[in-house]
Amino acid sequence: MSRIPLGRWVVAVPMSLLALATIYPLLFTVNVAMKTRREYILDRFSLAGDLRWENITTAWTSVGMGRYFANSVLVVTCSVVLLLLFGSMAGFALSQLRFRGSSALFLGCLAGLFVPFQVIMVPLARIMADGGLIDTYPGLVLVYVAQFLPFTVFLMTSYYKTIPPDIVDAARIDGNSVYGVYRRIMLPLGTPALLSVGILNALFCWNDVLMSLVMMPSADHRTLMVGVTSLRGQYSNDIPTFASGVLIAAIPVLVVYLFLQRQIADGVAAGSTKG
Amino acid sequence: MPPAHRGGTRSRRRGRGTERLAPYVLVAPAVLIIVVLRLYPLLLGVNFSLTGDGERNGTVVGLDNYLELFRDPLFRTALGNVGLLVLLLPVAVAIPGLLATFIYLRVPGHRFYRSVYFFPAVLSPVIVGAIFNLLLAFDGPLNAILGSVGLAPVDWLGDPDVAMFMVVGVHVWATFGMALVVFLAGFATLDSALLDAARVDGASLPQVIWHVIVPSLSRTIQFVFVTTMIGMLTSMFGLLFVMTSGGPEGSTYLPEYYIWIQQGQMNRPALASAASTALFVIMLVVGLLQIKLLKRAGKED
Repeated sequence: MSRIPLGRWVVAVPMSLLALATIYPLLFTVNVAMKTRREYILDRFSLAGDLRWENITTAWTSVGMGRYFANSVLVVTCSVVLLLLFGSMAGFALSQLRFRGSSALFLGCLAGLFVPFQVIMVPLARIMADGGLIDTYPGLVLVYVAQFLPFTVFLMTSYYKTIPPDIVDAARIDGNSVYGVYRRIMLPLGTPALLSVGILNALFCWNDVLMSLVMMPSADHRTLMVGVTSLRGQYSNDIPTFASGVLIAAIPVLVVYLFLQRQIADGVAAGSTKG
Repeated sequence: MPPAHRGGTRSRRRGRGTERLAPYVLVAPAVLIIVVLRLYPLLLGVNFSLTGDGERNGTVVGLDNYLELFRDPLFRTALGNVGLLVLLLPVAVAIPGLLATFIYLRVPGHRFYRSVYFFPAVLSPVIVGAIFNLLLAFDGPLNAILGSVGLAPVDWLGDPDVAMFMVVGVHVWATFGMALVVFLAGFATLDSALLDAARVDGASLPQVIWHVIVPSLSRTIQFVFVTTMIGMLTSMFGLLFVMTSGGPEGSTYLPEYYIWIQQGQMNRPALASAASTALFVIMLVVGLLQIKLLKRAGKED
């Protein structure tokens, strides 16, 4: 590794300060969530007296965070499964099979990357309403799949391009149909890419608020992030409970990050370098 | 080229017709979904923006919506804020770029920095916004610190001159880790012999950055510029919604927030479509302009 002069230690000081600035807001929130209201009003920064879970329970039950949590899990799971299925099918066909119109179809999929949800929000809501899909779980799932499919197809195509075509040929000679090759060879071989893309898609769907806000008007169908926005009005005077609600919504992501940060970063990096 | 000619099993294959169709069957779900739910709505939206709202629903009104849009002070504020984002863009790119450089050069603790810096990027804008609502509240901790050193409290999210900067600042705080990872992926392609040569020649760190790293990473820098700008235009909704709701005095509007208000609250879908079309055009122009400028800058070097 090259060593460039000029104090590697000098930059360590601002870098540590920045690391602190990055992590402190979350630690602050965790601490507040464990405090009583009285403790918070008396001193914003003092450490919580002891670990208290009442605020978490209050947030979980009183604004229906439990319900929202379940809604999010359902919608995100279905979306990710469909994204991986459709993405890997298309990725396999576009990278390994030669057929008329394949490059046009690939470009068509890619074009979707440049259409943000904000730009098509109004007509998409109307299409969903016409199809009777507004305010339904399948409707939101479909919107998420449409939103993240271009990226998924793109990554799966570039991943499958790295697999030698001989493998497909050999499997065909062994008597597999194209579908057999997909199911028995390509799907298992794609595991590392599917894992990365799946985690990224799960994060994107879990973290979304705008699509869910537009597609799920009724309170019963709210997803967790929309639920968090309604916490603020409810608990504007009870900061510890508010902080607890925020924490509930953040915990799954924190856990995923702790265990799978490598895969997440790899997925982001792959999206930027491939192609 | 039909795929049936690639293997040697033609004679054994019955159902050759379905085999030939297989690639189309495999891409069909993805292509259908993308065309019907992304590309078609884009055209529909443009068409929509030329019709009227309310009692003029369905009738063609030409460019009326666009005229109204540009007369609306809220939309103008939104455009002004886009201008502010463009001005702040170099900062939002330089911070992760510099940090990635240091991490690449292996400052002590680089692995730790990498995972800490990336971490806010995985949080939802809603969570980030809520956390900073706590920190930036008028009676919140930041003002408590200011008070303890004898400074007057600042209404971080309630002062029209301050609020937008806070929202953008929080957005940069939350997203620089994403750009950092992209930069590190770019560094992986950098030829370390160039750095060794620079070191032998006794180049200082700023010289190395300017003469070796920036030119070698021009494609990555270009990519980060464009994606950061698109991120600023399309992923601040959660922050705006939670932190300021567009206020105070409409000072924190961005086109995406304007679209949502007109569609969801004001029941003006056609006007919202005009704003959507304008946002799309802004993104295209900004993106193409950046690519062009950066290409030219790369050539001069």
